[in-house]
Amino acid sequence: MPKNLSFYMQIIVLLALYAFLYLPILYIVYASVQVDAIWPFPPDFTGEHFVSIWRNSDYIAGFKNSLIIGVGTGIISSLLATMAAIGILKYRVRGSKFIAGLFLSPLFIAHILIGISSLMFNKTLLGLPGNIFSAIIANATYATAFAFLVVIAQLARYDWRLDEAAMVFGATPGQTFREITLPLVWPAIFGAFIVSFLLAFNNLEISFYNLGATPTLPTLAWGSLRNGISQELYALAALINAAVFAFLGSLYVLLRLGVIRLSFKD
Amino acid sequence: MKNNRFFFWSLAGPGSVFLVLFLILPLISIIVFSFWRTESYQLYADWNLDNYRVLATNASYATFLIRSLVMATVVSAVSLVFAWPAAFFITRYGGQFKIILLLLTSTPFLTGEILRVTAMQQILGPIGLINMALGSFGFDPIAFIMYTNTSTAIGLVYLWLPFMVLAIHLSLLNFDFELLQVAKVNGARPLRAFWEITWPLNRAGSAIGVVLVFIPTLASSIPSKFMGGPNGSLFGNILANQFGSTGTWALGSAMGVVLFLVSMLVLFLVWKSIGDPKRSGITIKGGG
Repeated sequence: MPKNLSFYMQIIVLLALYAFLYLPILYIVYASVQVDAIWPFPPDFTGEHFVSIWRNSDYIAGFKNSLIIGVGTGIISSLLATMAAIGILKYRVRGSKFIAGLFLSPLFIAHILIGISSLMFNKTLLGLPGNIFSAIIANATYATAFAFLVVIAQLARYDWRLDEAAMVFGATPGQTFREITLPLVWPAIFGAFIVSFLLAFNNLEISFYNLGATPTLPTLAWGSLRNGISQELYALAALINAAVFAFLGSLYVLLRLGVIRLSFKD
Repeated sequence: MKNNRFFFWSLAGPGSVFLVLFLILPLISIIVFSFWRTESYQLYADWNLDNYRVLATNASYATFLIRSLVMATVVSAVSLVFAWPAAFFITRYGGQFKIILLLLTSTPFLTGEILRVTAMQQILGPIGLINMALGSFGFDPIAFIMYTNTSTAIGLVYLWLPFMVLAIHLSLLNFDFELLQVAKVNGARPLRAFWEITWPLNRAGSAIGVVLVFIPTLASSIPSKFMGGPNGSLFGNILANQFGSTGTWALGSAMGVVLFLVSMLVLFLVWKSIGDPKRSGITIKGGG
């Protein structure tokens, strides 16, 4: 690994970026254990907000609904995006460029436009009220584009003739898929699922207009703004971040031990 | 080959239908609604151009739009400058831990826009961490980060910069770093190698990154609502109002159409600036 000036400059920018991104989150974690979030200095520690989450069913319901939206969107988007990316890379038929454009098009449409257009379409033309399903579907349009970007960038260097070779040597299509295609595409599917989940779990601008009266974490935050954000939401955010770091920590250990591999080249 | 077409459509078909039904049709419907009329929170199919006349004649809408355009340009440029070194490091030196380094830039999304923006407001504001710390040492507070367009810009960079890092990273995944070794052997300094090799071969990644940051910034409303000053409202704030307090959906639809057209114009300009897509690192090879 060459250690020159540009190497150190890059690592400094990366570390500064992490500091910038996590500063507000550290603040939220700090505020979650303070008695008063509006004026949290000097520190006055308490754990009561973590206890009172469990006393108010809204917070639990909001967290559950956000989780359902995140996982639902993640499954729909990673599936649709992976299938389309494989189709486009493998069978270069006429029109595949156009379909690639269609899959990328949601990236060029602002969240709020996706949110309000599906609200008005559902309500005015179809007469459907907003609920958790319409929120999942609206989120999945945007997340599918992101997932597609992730999958196609990862699969572009996979030699798609490998599975033809396997078939020539007598493998059945099922075997080819299990033993050749799946091991190569699963890191891309995993990445697509994670990205769509991240986008949808706490999405405000798409979900807000399509949820109807369903409580989620962002709508609870929006609702509590009038009286200052309730500290139970800070406490929930702190727990979510703890879970994230536990997940990333275990991922690190599993990669280090070689239990899972996520890279084609190394 | 007929067989190929069948396999292609069975793989790409479901997603295409999904996007046409749930993205394209609703978008067409707001174009229709923008020619309708709203009265006491109800849409009426009275075809007219009033909404567009309001947008064209009332100068404040143009002001908000121009402010949003300037904001989106600045935020995209700043994000581009900071995302490049970070994404380069992650892709070049991340090894099998790339995914963890990358996820670390995106997991803040799980905490939610409102919580993070209000926390940022608490940190930068007059009673925030930075200015309180300065005050306790007897310094004046930094005025330009308190409720100004600069603080809104900081909030927007904060929200959307991870998209830029992801786009550049995805582009660099298909970049052959050996080329840089060749350049080094031939005596090119790192900066020159970057300008003549890395940057031109990854222009598509930068362009997609700019779009991913520009579009949400152009329509954003949350950072300006909490961190902006009295003259800090952006186009997105006014647009969101039409669907919130005032309930004028038809006018909001017209604003949405304007936003969409401006986004397409930007997309077109960014696409033109890429130049020849064959030499810019675009990896989608379809057709033929």
